[in-house]
Amino acid sequence: MTIKSVLDCERKSLEKMKKYQLPNQFKKIGFSILIISFVSLFMNRFSINDLEFKMIAKYGMLVGLLIASISKEKIEDELISNLRMQSYTFAFIVGVIITLTNPFFSYIVDFFIKAKESSTNGVGDWQILWLLLSIQVFYFEFLKRLHK
Amino acid sequence: MKNRLKIERAILDITQDELAKIIGVSRQTINSIEKNRYVPSTVLALKLSKTFQKPVNDFFELIEGE
Repeated sequence: MTIKSVLDCERKSLEKMKKYQLPNQFKKIGFSILIISFVSLFMNRFSINDLEFKMIAKYGMLVGLLIASISKEKIEDELISNLRMQSYTFAFIVGVIITLTNPFFSYIVDFFIKAKESSTNGVGDWQILWLLLSIQVFYFEFLKRLHK
Repeated sequence: MKNRLKIERAILDITQDELAKIIGVSRQTINSIEKNRYVPSTVLALKLSKTFQKPVNDFFELIEGE
């Protein structure tokens, strides 16, 4: 196997990876899952109060956001690809900054309210994923509105 | 980068929506290019050139310092 054929093979697999997007109809499905999961989580807080149900609803929100995030627009052209890339970049940077600064702010809040136990443990995996996905989805919608 | 897209479109007497359909993009993309909010790719510029039957330099111009 020559180096050229290895590079060609890698290039082809990378090209396949670019086709990760779902059809446009999935966007509505994604937002529906998100809303249903959010309402379930809200209901669980005040009536059911079941830990397993809460976990399912939380992961349902992530799945809904992910589906909405990777669904195509009605016309998926180069401007939309550009805006999508901008939104992923923005979400990544803001997500990392918030994750890094969160323990610091928690410490300050704890200091002023004089909590018995300090909560400088950081942010959990669900919070990070929810933060990244929601920033990406809503910033992308905001950018699209700017270009109308 | 300055552009004369609106003028070229007026010469052909076509709307943003019609031009968008001809070159296979959304109306928002044409609107963003006309308002200088988005710089199109070479492929899109060449498609516009084919539609207007003019070289790209006739409707896209670099501003001094770019």
